[in-house]
Amino acid sequence: MNLTLRVWRQKGPKEKGHFETYQVQDVTPEMSFFEALDKVNEELITAGREPIAFDHDCREGICGTCSLTINGQPHGPDEAATGCQLHLRAFKSGDTITIEPFRARAFPVIKDLVIDRSALDRVMTAGGFVSVNTGSAAEANSILVPKDKSDAAMDAAACIGCGACVAACPNASAMLFVSAKVSHFALLPQGKPERDRRVLAMQKQMDLEGFGNCSNESECEAVCPKEIKVCNIARMNREFLRAIFWSKE
Amino acid sequence: MRWLFDFLNSSIGKKVTVGLAGLLLCGFLLTHLAGNLILFAGQAKFNAYAEFLEKNPLLPALEIGLAALFLIHIIVTLYARWQNWQARPVSYEMTVSKGGRTWGSRTMTYTAFLLLGFIILHVATLKYGLATSFTEDEVFQRVMTFLKSPWMAGFYVLTMAGLGLHLSHGFESAFQTLGVNHPKYTPVIKAAGILFAVAVAGTFAVIPLWAYWQGGLK
Amino acid sequence: MKLDAKIPAGSVSQKWDKYRFDLKLVNPANKRKFDVLIVGSGLAGASAAATLAELGYNVKVFCLQDSPRRAHSIAAQGGINAAKNYPNDGDSVWRLFYDTVKGGDYRAREANVYRLAQVSNSIIDQCVAQGVPFAREYGGALDNRSFGGAQVSRTFYARGQTGQQLLLGAYSSLMRQVNKKQVQIFPRREMAELVVIDGVARGIVVRNLITGQFESYAGHAVLLATGGYGNTFYLSTNANSCNVSAAWRAYKKGAGFANPCFTQIHPTCIPQSGEHQAKLTLMSESLRNDGRVWVPKKKGDTRSPDQIPDSERDYYLERQYPTFGNLVPRDVASRAAKRMIDEGRGVGKTGLSVYLDFADAVKRQGKAKIVEKYGNLFDMYHHLTAEDPYRVPMRIYPAVHYAMGGLWVDYNLMTTIPGLFCLGEANFSDHGANRLGASALMQGLGDGYFIIPYTLGGYLASTKLPKAGTDHQAFAEAQRLAHERVKRLLSSKGKRTPVSFHKELGKLLWSNCGMSRNEKGLKEALAKIPAIREEFWNNLVVSGSGNDFNQTLERASRVGDYLEFAELLVRDALERKESCGGHFREESQTPDNEAKRDDANFSHAAVWEHAGEGKDPIRNQEPLTFTDVVPSQRSYA
Repeated sequence: MNLTLRVWRQKGPKEKGHFETYQVQDVTPEMSFFEALDKVNEELITAGREPIAFDHDCREGICGTCSLTINGQPHGPDEAATGCQLHLRAFKSGDTITIEPFRARAFPVIKDLVIDRSALDRVMTAGGFVSVNTGSAAEANSILVPKDKSDAAMDAAACIGCGACVAACPNASAMLFVSAKVSHFALLPQGKPERDRRVLAMQKQMDLEGFGNCSNESECEAVCPKEIKVCNIARMNREFLRAIFWSKE
Repeated sequence: MRWLFDFLNSSIGKKVTVGLAGLLLCGFLLTHLAGNLILFAGQAKFNAYAEFLEKNPLLPALEIGLAALFLIHIIVTLYARWQNWQARPVSYEMTVSKGGRTWGSRTMTYTAFLLLGFIILHVATLKYGLATSFTEDEVFQRVMTFLKSPWMAGFYVLTMAGLGLHLSHGFESAFQTLGVNHPKYTPVIKAAGILFAVAVAGTFAVIPLWAYWQGGLK
Repeated sequence: MKLDAKIPAGSVSQKWDKYRFDLKLVNPANKRKFDVLIVGSGLAGASAAATLAELGYNVKVFCLQDSPRRAHSIAAQGGINAAKNYPNDGDSVWRLFYDTVKGGDYRAREANVYRLAQVSNSIIDQCVAQGVPFAREYGGALDNRSFGGAQVSRTFYARGQTGQQLLLGAYSSLMRQVNKKQVQIFPRREMAELVVIDGVARGIVVRNLITGQFESYAGHAVLLATGGYGNTFYLSTNANSCNVSAAWRAYKKGAGFANPCFTQIHPTCIPQSGEHQAKLTLMSESLRNDGRVWVPKKKGDTRSPDQIPDSERDYYLERQYPTFGNLVPRDVASRAAKRMIDEGRGVGKTGLSVYLDFADAVKRQGKAKIVEKYGNLFDMYHHLTAEDPYRVPMRIYPAVHYAMGGLWVDYNLMTTIPGLFCLGEANFSDHGANRLGASALMQGLGDGYFIIPYTLGGYLASTKLPKAGTDHQAFAEAQRLAHERVKRLLSSKGKRTPVSFHKELGKLLWSNCGMSRNEKGLKEALAKIPAIREEFWNNLVVSGSGNDFNQTLERASRVGDYLEFAELLVRDALERKESCGGHFREESQTPDNEAKRDDANFSHAAVWEHAGEGKDPIRNQEPLTFTDVVPSQRSYA
């Protein structure tokens, strides 16, 4: 099959970007979308031109490195999948595919489709942890955790930190990401002692990073490759209100 | 009190404020609607109700409170929207929803401006009589005269459709914002939100239709 | 090269406790005077960084990903072993020790393996305290499952994302230290040179992958936690950015490289679908808890799997290894699959795969239970192949997965360069010639949380280190070397891309030094690799510049290192004339085609020493002695 790719090219963070069009010939439906990009890049390099810079690493949907908006959807049209899991069988020969980076002020473009998501790390630094030093842990089974709580915590913890939620949000809000982390800890007894400090600190950092405000559009949930639910956002709201009005923090 | 300022300035604080104000406004809608329904009981009863309201010494306070709710709901939203607009300086060439947004959520801004325009018109004309040639003192007569015009009646119905859309997202969204989300009850809240939106907007819309159909005061 | 493993005296079960007592301690107030540089932020790097920072050291962490949370440990699926014996099925520290030494085909150090088994339980405690959401029973206690090479259930897991959850646990501890300003993170930095001053590792030069600039960092110790070299084979289950470069730089600066030929071929990966393929995807070994591996009894049977009745299927693992069945160790399972395929009984379009069938498990336990246990793995398979494994058996094929070989380290995890430590998959470690499933996570975290914090302290407390800042001449020299390398890569105006060379090398290695190896093939590879390398330096094309974000340049530099390292790997395979674990020499096999060790001649770690450019490397030996687990022909039948 043959495809036309319209790709966002941007030399650096300060430069203006634009779209360039590339033809990909003789690709097969079994190929992954990124392998088609690889092919374009191999041809560009051979011709001595700069290839399309795009982030990718594990290529199996777990590292969260890829950050492409494909035909207007972060990670592309597949349900519950990352861009690297997208295969060309999702398209038909002759299609034109538009590829842009995840766009948000908090995710500045480094080059072409590569973005800087360190804002998410800084939110984590603010409070996304349990304060336990190595060696001070109690016997693992000394605190029993109800299976439903543990499963719900795992549902939230499955977040791969890709930032697609931010990219899909009409407001570029990071609430799904932050709430997933807050929820993961809030649901477990190990996370309870610091719950107030954590949610206040993470929410504050989130705001400082310049993400937008959540308006419950649920686009984040719809694009999340790990199917993280907006019930986590509600939980974070609860945790936040609790921390503001009940705690002494 | 630093914490309160931090709260109001935080992204969650803002939306909690908007959501709470919105829910209270939903309450106002219900009382307004209940009052409006007295229209169908006839001129005398409705005017008596209007007089009771106007004579009530609490009314100015309530009106100020109501205006404050509206202003908070609007200003905080505008502030948040301005921030949201800044949060994505380079917009997408192409955006395709994956199914999260609803018609209600997608049109929030448009329905909000429609409602704002409506409220200004509604209060200016029916309450303060601006830009109108009302000679009647009594409210019933004013309403019926005003809604005789197909343009006005049409605008009122259109606005109520907008209100329905606005509520269809706003109602359930307020609960989510306040942290009410539960696998058992959220579906109920969502259904109740739609029901509330359709019922309130629908019933409100009956009034201009009915008034227009009556052809003014006989 | 002097190889002193520094294994403490005493009985194997007492060594670590006694040694920890004997190690000198760094006074708490003095710890903040030490700077520790850690390269790599996976399980080993992140856990070491967090723990050392908790102790009070100043830690700098460098990773080539955009965030430390994305290191490839994140992709580990199945689980982590520990000798908790929660299921009460006969497990113990001793049994985990025994299974690991045996699973590694008696090519690991007993003392190290015992220590690993000892700390395994603390790892689970630590992770649970961090909030790692391990799978649990309804009563709230932790759940276990089984992995290959063990007859007990000792694997803790978080769905099929155990590596992710453990890494996020270590990462969260790391971020806590960043919050406390005890750790500084340097993302998108790749180590370009190791700086050795007076024979001691004192710093690194890294390339800032965004600006292309080289940056120097000085410290009192350097820890490499840079993962394995599986990507030398081009196609592997490793992430694209996994590479051998940091370890290779250290090797060239004098660190011994041990057992490079010990590469693990994982039996259950999704088969390659074509030439275009950029990497292979693993399907967790945990699937063999419930999945049954089979091929048709008849050669060239092209019927669809549902058309083949049970009587015409060969569940070959259950047939050949009745005791362990589908849960034989990875090397055994991979070779068995290869034998089936070589016999012409492979399935799928290419005939290069075998079935992993869940029909019985779904019938027995219900689909819901299978979804709960393996849902995300099945989804992943479905995304890649567009086939539904709940209805159609999975097709799997072995693929390069893990490197047991790596930089040689002593009991302190220190390489042959004083001050240079190596942790996790990057060291030659505790898995011998074959790693058991769910042991990599255990080793990475064991090294980082519970071993290096003690041994590094011992080193720093007992070593006099003169001041050496980045203004030292050695840093300028290292920067010059790094610059020159980039200049050389960019100046080549040839026709072939870095990836094309990588592919060529990978194919050669897979066919001549893959699942089974023989002298002829190895010698052929040894002759061909220098030729590829020569063409690489003469016919390479790298577009773009060295002064900004340039992924082609990154790749070219790594491929340049693979092309050198591959030669060492093949040389090691050629010299080790026995079969053991993942290293199968066709010349050395039992009558039923199992790996046949030669303990008389090869009961040692082969430690390679760089002898200078253009010279053959020197093969040194660290003899392995077994006092507590007596080597025998491994049998899983």
